[in-house]
Amino acid sequence: MTRTRIVATVLVILALTLSLGMPAFSQGKSLTLSMLAGYKEDVLRANLPEFEKKTGIKVVVDAAPFGDLYKKQLLSLSTGGGRYDVLFMDEPWVPPFSEFLLPLTERMKTLDVADFIPTTVASGAFQGTQYAIPVDPNVQLLVYRKDLFEAKGLKPPATWDELLAAAKALHDPAKEKYGIAVTASSDIQTALYMLLAQWSYGAELVEGGRGSLNSAAGRKGGEVFLELLKFTPPNVRSYNFADVNKAIQLGQAAMAIQWASGAKPMEDKTKSTVAGKLGYTRVPKAVRQTPMRGVWTIAIAKNSANQDAAWQFATWLSGKEFGQFAVTYPSATSAIHSPRVSVLKDPSTRAALPYAEALLDSLQITKERPRLREYADIQENLRVTTGKLTAGELTLDAALKEIDAGTNRILGK
Amino acid sequence: MRPSRLRTVLTALAMLPVLAWTLFPIYWITTASFKTELALYARPPQWLFTPILDNYTRVLTNIPFMQYLKNSLVIAIGTTLGSLVLGTLAGYGFARFRFRFSEAVRFLVLVMRMAPRMVLVVPYYLMMQRLGLLDTYTGLVLAYVSFALPFSIWLLIGFFVDVPIDVEEAALIDGCSPLGVLVRIVIPIAAPGLVVAAIFAFLVSWNEFLFALILSGVEAKTLPVVIAGLNTDVGPLYGEMSAAAVMVMLPNIVMTVALQRYLVKGLTLGAVKG
Amino acid sequence: MAIGSAGRWFLLPGLVFLFAIDLIPLVYSAWISLYNWWLIRPRDIRFVGLANYLRLGHDPEFIRAVVVTTLFTSGAVVVEFLIGLGLALLFAQPFRFLRRLRVLILLPLFVVPVVGATMWRVIFHPEVGVLNYYLNALGLGRPPWLSDPTLALVSITLVDAWRTIPFMFLVIYAGLEVLPGELFEAAAVDGASGWQSFRYITVPLLTYIMLLAVLIRAMDAFREFDIIFVLTGGGPGTATQTVQILNYRAFGLGHMGEANAIGLVTLGLVALMCWALMRLILRPRPAGG
Repeated sequence: MTRTRIVATVLVILALTLSLGMPAFSQGKSLTLSMLAGYKEDVLRANLPEFEKKTGIKVVVDAAPFGDLYKKQLLSLSTGGGRYDVLFMDEPWVPPFSEFLLPLTERMKTLDVADFIPTTVASGAFQGTQYAIPVDPNVQLLVYRKDLFEAKGLKPPATWDELLAAAKALHDPAKEKYGIAVTASSDIQTALYMLLAQWSYGAELVEGGRGSLNSAAGRKGGEVFLELLKFTPPNVRSYNFADVNKAIQLGQAAMAIQWASGAKPMEDKTKSTVAGKLGYTRVPKAVRQTPMRGVWTIAIAKNSANQDAAWQFATWLSGKEFGQFAVTYPSATSAIHSPRVSVLKDPSTRAALPYAEALLDSLQITKERPRLREYADIQENLRVTTGKLTAGELTLDAALKEIDAGTNRILGK
Repeated sequence: MRPSRLRTVLTALAMLPVLAWTLFPIYWITTASFKTELALYARPPQWLFTPILDNYTRVLTNIPFMQYLKNSLVIAIGTTLGSLVLGTLAGYGFARFRFRFSEAVRFLVLVMRMAPRMVLVVPYYLMMQRLGLLDTYTGLVLAYVSFALPFSIWLLIGFFVDVPIDVEEAALIDGCSPLGVLVRIVIPIAAPGLVVAAIFAFLVSWNEFLFALILSGVEAKTLPVVIAGLNTDVGPLYGEMSAAAVMVMLPNIVMTVALQRYLVKGLTLGAVKG
Repeated sequence: MAIGSAGRWFLLPGLVFLFAIDLIPLVYSAWISLYNWWLIRPRDIRFVGLANYLRLGHDPEFIRAVVVTTLFTSGAVVVEFLIGLGLALLFAQPFRFLRRLRVLILLPLFVVPVVGATMWRVIFHPEVGVLNYYLNALGLGRPPWLSDPTLALVSITLVDAWRTIPFMFLVIYAGLEVLPGELFEAAAVDGASGWQSFRYITVPLLTYIMLLAVLIRAMDAFREFDIIFVLTGGGPGTATQTVQILNYRAFGLGHMGEANAIGLVTLGLVALMCWALMRLILRPRPAGG
């Protein structure tokens, strides 16, 4: 009993000492960055010593998982705690966060703006003011099996009708070969697939401040999307982003519409049986061609005590040097795609990322999601309703009505 | 009374399906940590294969895993000790001391555990912010003890009430202080209860994600947050996640094996005589 | 009454701690639920009284979520209790080999929930998962574990049970171990059978522990989130969309008033459930035991 008591006492003292003896926050030029955990964080950390050596600024990286980064940043910015100086954020977050961010319009002019892919600069702007600088652009691509297409004498589809025809031609469930892989679950990607189709036919999610998906174009896009589900693996209703990748990697799907960030894992030999056999092109068009844009940006908190240091960091992160380093970094998972035209055109980039050409090409013609503070809510409503549609809980007409009704409710109409 | 051989065999047979179901995912996670992603999805499934260590090396080099392991350990030990001490005291108090509203207070203790933890995030965040405890061990230990304490108290009440009161009263008559009675007589008898409470508190802290995410970030970052970070925007990194999960399991196993022997009868004999 | 009024000093540290760290934040959270507080507009916080609660009452999605959650909770708790109890009884027998197996049974508790659920997703994958591989080989086809509404509910219950049966087992087993052996010996001398021993000795003495285990599990199952979110995300459609998923959604979008209202309604429902269970089963225990 006595020995146990001694052990227990020692443990208590140990725990208390360790808990109280936390290192004090280092003073001097130091920035706290809110970052996305995972391979992006790894690439950043790998190149951070370069930045610290050049500028003498120390960067503390607070990385949060993909599903939780938004709420962590929101909580911190909204309660004004001043926890972060710089924030790595997805472009749809810029409008809601804009009132907590430092306007960068003037400073932006000092950057080599001409070298940015033009559409990516818009990803950091809201109501005429620039709040964030692009760092890592992403866009929807059409991925297809070059070998299967050649074998059947098909060329990669350019329109949605051609896409449906190609998917049908390559669909052979008995052999576990499916035309195309998308998602049809209650995952957000499902809604984004349907939205892409609807955009292609000319529909808009929000127009004139009102929900406008319930239109002839919206209906046509929805129908085309639902039609596409006939040529997918049987259980797409439980699929998410990773499952679409799986379907390509395991050779089950002949095509997929997927974000460019998913392409590198498809070319990874430890994950994919079809590395080197894939072709990349633009997503199909109808009335217009509208690949969805998704750019990760860097922003500065308005109440940061280190605004100049923060701007130096933002400059570096969106710059050519880091961009070149990032695209050729042999990360196991995926890549940070630089927003610099010069980087994406560079031969070493083309060698490291087989889809770089398609990426640059599609980034020129992207369409952005509505730039509204309320967008997250609108997207949630879109996600849930589309999930109900594909699960059979709603008809297409009812779903379109419900999407618009939700949008209007959120926008206070 | 030695059980019959038939009973032995039947017992063993009954164990098999349960063990199979319980252990298969663990086996799958462990093997996944030694496989490439392609091998994970191989058909027919690979039960035996040549293991690779890439996942482990990637996890251990890409992130300061040891640092986070230390964070999780310190916080978990702190939580366990905190809940055991406070819980044992309070449990004994409820078990042996009746006051006017004791039933209501006891229920209130349990009620505090009924809210979804999510609703406590903002209050805790603001509280820790004001106390300057964001991203510290202390902050997380305080939060976790508050999660583990209600159940610990209720569990220990049950075990303490089962201790025969004559033994305690005898000790008091002999001049022992109430605290002495608790420590020297009641705790040894109710040891299995304390073991469960300890394991439970440790697990609450070890596996907790949401508050670790919100209340920490750099200095006090714990393993569950790190593992969740392996669920990237292009999908889960199965190999790395499995490797991390296996490494995270080990301290728990060590702790349980160490505490195992307190989980049995044997400590109860001797005290209950007379 | 053994320790008399010295008892209050035992209670003080724990209760003070809980009231400071737990109760006050809860009250604050209840206070938030009376406001319309959207984190994106921190200067536009308005008092709305019970509007958040009334809206929930009229929301068919919320009501459906309550139904789904209740279904899941009852299924999970029943399965977990029965198997946990059975396991505890099996392990209470004096066999040496059981001691080593005990740690193995507890292993699922040591797996971080997100990883466990992710791996189960891999196992459940309809096309390339290992479970369907063998089911197909046995001629049972490839059940759509995560894309069929009913099967999805079964799947999340299975995974939740996998994860927490060890907990049930642990609690009941510890309770069994504390039971005085003399009682059983005396009963055997008097000619009682194993079943009679169980029914007339074990059950009454274990009632408190078993009830506590069921209560805690019911409370946790009602609030279960990680496993469901990773496995199905609430889908397909709204088949596995529980109250906690709605809570997470409101919270993730920064609607604090709404999120806290959902949280407090959950607290109310859970408290009701516990109170009912306790009333039905538990009789007040005298301090002497």
